Amino acid sequence: MVKEIMAILPASVRSILTALPSAVREHLEEIRLRQNQPMEIRYGQQSSYVTPSGQLTAIARQGWIFSEEQAVKLLNQVSQHSLYALEEELKRGYITVVGGHRIGIAGKVVMEKGEVKGIRDVTSFNIRIAREKKGAAHRVLPFLFENGRVHNTLIISPPQCGKTTLLRDIARSLSYGNEWASSRKVGIVDERSELAGCLNGVPQRDVGPRTDVLDACPKAVGMMMLIRSMSPDVLIVDEIGRTEDGEAVWEAIHAGVAVICTAHGADVSEVAQRPTLGRLIQYGAFSRYILLSRTNGVGTVEAVYDGSLTRVDREKIAWLS
Amino acid sequence: MVKLIGAVLILFSASMIGWQIGRNYAFRPVQLRALLVALQMLETEIVYGLTPLHRAFVKIGHRVPDEVGRLFLTAAELLITERAQTAEDALRQAIDAHWPQTALRRQERDVLSSLGQVLGSSDREDQQKHLRLAVTHLRGLEEEARAEQGRYEKMYKSLGFLCGLLVVILMF
Repeated sequence: MVKEIMAILPASVRSILTALPSAVREHLEEIRLRQNQPMEIRYGQQSSYVTPSGQLTAIARQGWIFSEEQAVKLLNQVSQHSLYALEEELKRGYITVVGGHRIGIAGKVVMEKGEVKGIRDVTSFNIRIAREKKGAAHRVLPFLFENGRVHNTLIISPPQCGKTTLLRDIARSLSYGNEWASSRKVGIVDERSELAGCLNGVPQRDVGPRTDVLDACPKAVGMMMLIRSMSPDVLIVDEIGRTEDGEAVWEAIHAGVAVICTAHGADVSEVAQRPTLGRLIQYGAFSRYILLSRTNGVGTVEAVYDGSLTRVDREKIAWLS
Repeated sequence: MVKLIGAVLILFSASMIGWQIGRNYAFRPVQLRALLVALQMLETEIVYGLTPLHRAFVKIGHRVPDEVGRLFLTAAELLITERAQTAEDALRQAIDAHWPQTALRRQERDVLSSLGQVLGSSDREDQQKHLRLAVTHLRGLEEEARAEQGRYEKMYKSLGFLCGLLVVILMF
């Protein structure tokens, strides 16, 4: 079981989790705690309630009830007794903790001038355990380089197909250097703090030794900032979509920086329908497209195309299952 | 001869007692000042630095002199080692441990404990409000302490010596 998560949990929750069967504990993905409701865990593809003695059960009333007192304690531990330091996080609805794990929260929302100011009375916690999938990028790396240059790449994928994991591993491989290319300076604009999972600006995920991260920064602004201040060889950005994102990608490419980014979609033609991305594709901004799916499990690489949409790989690659 | 030595001893100890009482009057404003500095630092750490409470306590502990500084270090340690469940608890335990060594009084203690009840448990603006309130309270107490110092410090010091002198005179 993950040490960092254990450290922030109240003693009662901790002891129940330690009593779980070890097979379940090893594959724990989410711990869901809702005030006055039974504790729920998700592991593998299943979910289940947990009894006070650490047994799995499908019957809600046998589950161990997460009390109000426990909720207060947990929030106290997570915030290190300093709620004021979590203002931004309470506004966004999730808290990143040591190890890059993420705690989603819900409760009573406080508004100010029409905007969410934060969440008071936090009653629901979703503790998502981050697991590194190193080597995810291994099979696609050979397609990303040509004559020592890094291709401008667009990763296209429906939700939950391992897009972010792949992107993170590409960043790490570029930063460390790999068998196809020497190491590069990598800049990550991590608007949703998902790629690097920063805590106080320090990446909690391994994104490589030559990587600079702009945490929680809007993509378009962040890309320009990084180009000016950190002179990266490769820019890594998650989920391009807005007009200004497209412009920033365009700028970066013409500033001699390779861009690797992702977009939601099922295939290249679908993505090409979207105004910003369509224009980028039309003008040949990208020289590689990686298509993900879950046909052979999460993170199947359906196909890799070059700039003229000719397929360059030979078979599907499954790297996550 | 023995009588003379006794007289000197009495005179000496009486002056020491007076001096000690007077010194307490001198220490209180100094420690109150330290406490005020500590709370103002805490405000900066919380409002501008967004520093977690235990780290702020450590910083303050190293920079504020003597017993007041040690009080914050103890509170930080209690939080870090999880021997205190809440910030309020940590502060209360630290106060219990260090208060007898200070020249501070009940009123100061009340201000600090009631601050402890809200410390860390709300957003920045609210924290700032509470900290400012505590600082204002302590300022008032500091003025009072200084006035008392002016009035009583010298008095107790001379009183001790004079009492000793009186006993010596009565002895002879």
